[in-house]
Amino acid sequence: MLVFARARRRSGTSFQFTTLNGTTFLPSSDYGVGLSLTTATCDTRAMAPLSPRLSSTQGDVLTEDLVKTERPWNVIVWDDPVTPMSVVVVIFRKIFGYSQNKCTQLMLTVHHEGRAVVWSGQRERAESYCVKLQVAGLQSTIENVE
Amino acid sequence: MAGSRLFVRWRDGRIEVRLNEAGRVVAREAFGRVVAAERDPTHEWHAGLNSPIDPSEDTDSPLAALDRQREISTNAELAYMTLNEQFLNEGEAWAWLSTFQIALRSTAVANGLLSEEKLAACEPELMNFIRTIQQFLFGLAECL
Repeated sequence: MLVFARARRRSGTSFQFTTLNGTTFLPSSDYGVGLSLTTATCDTRAMAPLSPRLSSTQGDVLTEDLVKTERPWNVIVWDDPVTPMSVVVVIFRKIFGYSQNKCTQLMLTVHHEGRAVVWSGQRERAESYCVKLQVAGLQSTIENVE
Repeated sequence: MAGSRLFVRWRDGRIEVRLNEAGRVVAREAFGRVVAAERDPTHEWHAGLNSPIDPSEDTDSPLAALDRQREISTNAELAYMTLNEQFLNEGEAWAWLSTFQIALRSTAVANGLLSEEKLAACEPELMNFIRTIQQFLFGLAECL
């Protein structure tokens, strides 16, 4: 039986111990035999699998998983029928510093598929790039990667 | 060959503007309307300048929206102030390109020209304005 001792001060300086199942006993001296008696009556078999070190390790692993699952934000550029292709290439080169080939590929993706992901990463940077593209007159938005 | 180009980059990095008076009138109108639209919420181009940044949210981040408004205004005002210049530096040329592009897209949005078919069916006067702005953009893109 698992026994927890609850100490209660009686009159004077001595303690009376009461277990959770109602049994009371007096220690022969304060903090001496009474405490060792309580320890001796504890059945610790049920506590054996609950190792504090193990649960602490599990917590660490869970925290690491949360960091890994943070999803990037995409900056999307949308097609429109009036913007000249060469202007889109110049704007991509100016804002992102990509090579001429990469800018041309992205522009063609926008043209053929209606949209293209031009950058992925942290939300604040995605928002900043999106604003720069809008300031340059392109239709752009950000979205969280599913 | 160079005589037919509207913008020419010189070896020292400056960009020469070869627009005639009629061309500068169109540029003045485009730049002036972008400046006005950014300041006036009832302007027909205002909605086109404030498209959503994150469509999954009801409202955009106020800091990002403010940043956009400030940069569009700065570019449009700089472009307007340099309308009569013969030579532009890199930053001024970028301001011209950005403001022309915003004027072009705002015109398309305000007139519902969001597909090739609708663009082809628009009024000749509107089409003339769009083609002129596109011509300016082609010229500037070659220099930048």
